[in-house]
Amino acid sequence: MRAEILFPEVCNLYGDLQNVYYLQRCCPSLEIVETDLKSKPRFPEEDVTLVFMGSTTEQGLKLAADALRPYREAIAEKVDAGQLFLATGNALDILGDAIDSDAAERIDGLGLLPTRAEYHMMQRHNSFFVGKFEDMDIVGFKSLFGHSHGMGDALFDTVKGVGRDGTPQSGEGFRRGGLMATYLIGPLLILNPPLCKWLLRQMGADDTLAFEEAAMDSYRKRLSEFMEPGRSWKY
Amino acid sequence: MGKLRFLLALWLGKLSIPALKITRHNGTDFPGSLAVRVCPDFLKYVGKPPVMVAVTGTNGKTTVSNMLVDILEAEGHHVLSNRAGSNITSGVSTAFIRNCDLLGRVKRCDMAVLEIDERSAPKIYPYVRPNYILITNLFRDSIMRNAHPGYIADILSRNLPRESKLILNADDLISCGVAEENDRCYFGIGRMPGDVTDCVNLLNDMRICPRCAGKLRYDYRRYHHIGHAVCESCGFHSPEADYLAEQVDLQARTMVVREKNGVQHPYDLITDSLFNIYNMMAVIAALRQLGLSHDTIRQRFAGTKILESRLSEESIGGVNVIMQMSKDKNALACSRNFDYIRSKPGRKELLVMMNCMGVSKNWSENPSWMYDTDFEFLNHDDIVQLVCAGPRARDYKLRLLLAGIPEEKIFLEDDEFKALDKLYLTPGDDVYILYGVDGTPLAFRVKARLKELLLAKGGQAQ
Repeated sequence: MRAEILFPEVCNLYGDLQNVYYLQRCCPSLEIVETDLKSKPRFPEEDVTLVFMGSTTEQGLKLAADALRPYREAIAEKVDAGQLFLATGNALDILGDAIDSDAAERIDGLGLLPTRAEYHMMQRHNSFFVGKFEDMDIVGFKSLFGHSHGMGDALFDTVKGVGRDGTPQSGEGFRRGGLMATYLIGPLLILNPPLCKWLLRQMGADDTLAFEEAAMDSYRKRLSEFMEPGRSWKY
Repeated sequence: MGKLRFLLALWLGKLSIPALKITRHNGTDFPGSLAVRVCPDFLKYVGKPPVMVAVTGTNGKTTVSNMLVDILEAEGHHVLSNRAGSNITSGVSTAFIRNCDLLGRVKRCDMAVLEIDERSAPKIYPYVRPNYILITNLFRDSIMRNAHPGYIADILSRNLPRESKLILNADDLISCGVAEENDRCYFGIGRMPGDVTDCVNLLNDMRICPRCAGKLRYDYRRYHHIGHAVCESCGFHSPEADYLAEQVDLQARTMVVREKNGVQHPYDLITDSLFNIYNMMAVIAALRQLGLSHDTIRQRFAGTKILESRLSEESIGGVNVIMQMSKDKNALACSRNFDYIRSKPGRKELLVMMNCMGVSKNWSENPSWMYDTDFEFLNHDDIVQLVCAGPRARDYKLRLLLAGIPEEKIFLEDDEFKALDKLYLTPGDDVYILYGVDGTPLAFRVKARLKELLLAKGGQAQ
């Protein structure tokens, strides 16, 4: 079983990479391979159980998009055939059509998701999020310069907070075949033990978590905190 | 019209000062805040001293600013500073209001040392154009406010006045890339025995060349991306320091500072922590730029202390109680502190309460920064106990477990005061209280309670 981290030299913000390392703590037989910007991604041609790409800088968005562009068609085929691919934070935008910014030139995405991001570099959005995925409660955080406007299946239903377009009415993230992309940042799988268990099962692994009791304790506390009526999702 | 509005803003700001004193709100940013509300370009019109130094950067700017002010004042300068207030527009404006006459002309002060928040650059530098801008370093800071260091570097590059000379950390390639057209000089610390080449930290934000995106190789690395790097593809490399610390001896607390002419100048260290030696070097570089001699700087350092609210210790009943500010939401600052704690000899008990109290009631702190932080450094035989307390206690417990710390060393207690009951308080131990910025008042109340407990046990404070 193998997980491929794409471009850890730039797609490494906010502790996002710990998602993959946590999976390895849960499933010690999971091999982690790191693919840098100058190397060919393995998953289009090799057997990779999970591909992961995390939050990055604005410079990193362009570098990552350029590095993946030659493999666009292969990636589309793979994810449509069920290749597990988790993108967190603004890595989602690399997979969309384009990123428009008020402080930089437009960055062309891969066009795998029918959406377009719009960044306002002096207006950072910070919020917490409660959502539903299958029968699970999802908790997480957003810290972004913008939102994404487009069509396509959402990954999570929004219960509290905002979805992918910055409104409470929209769903959060995108799902296309095995591709799961969400604007939620950080150690999403550590913060959401039920989701982590689900993913481990999808990967064909045993779903026992590392430090499961402590992780569940933290998760339950956060979920109840987020759902308190007086608590505002917006920072 | 602009000038009239400025005068109105100034007078209102000045009038508010005695009003605040009467109501015992002295020291707030209200005068500046009021003035900027009345006159948004207040800073454009207010008088400035002939020489201005701005200090900015992720970590160390308060320490560096305070040291600069102390030394310059000891040298007889009248220094305008915002040390009593905040480092954003309102705090800077308040400092000017307090030091100008009724027409807005600067009184007495021949210099200004201003600590300036990085994100406030677009609002301050159009009007305040320092002769020197010192950038201590650029690291990851608050995820919510500062995103990532490249973002902050970009804000600074867009807003620093072209004529300001930059004083930069040669060992930090992120801040070295700021405003590349500005005149600049560098400070740094030369290769040290404990340096490594591979990164041992979770945060490593300078892995690729800023010119060609090729892989960077580090000749030596102190921590994170701090060190001397070379691009394997295009040859780009870290700059050479104009003021370089060499022969740093943490035990003897000495170093020498070598300038580019090769002459070495001995100094006594006022600290044994590396990040504070960088702060010392930043101060030395700035003072040398201002024309002070090494002899003068060395003598003045002898009377300088690191701000006590950040690091202080007191021996009570045989237990050494250490208050260590570890800025919550700042992975770098916490990692540096953890590295420092593990380097100290002796048994340690830790009260982990770096919670962001400001958001604990109405929002909820994002714990992502904990996963950028080297909690692994606390997995050390000498660290015998870690008591997690406060709103994020469960997150800390989980993070400590993932750092490999044995569960039997970890204790959980929501209430910070009750957490004291879980501490071993073994005579001879160092007890660290780790707290965040807005948790400072709470941390000192907790320390006071701890002191009561220890004194009740029959100890004496020293």
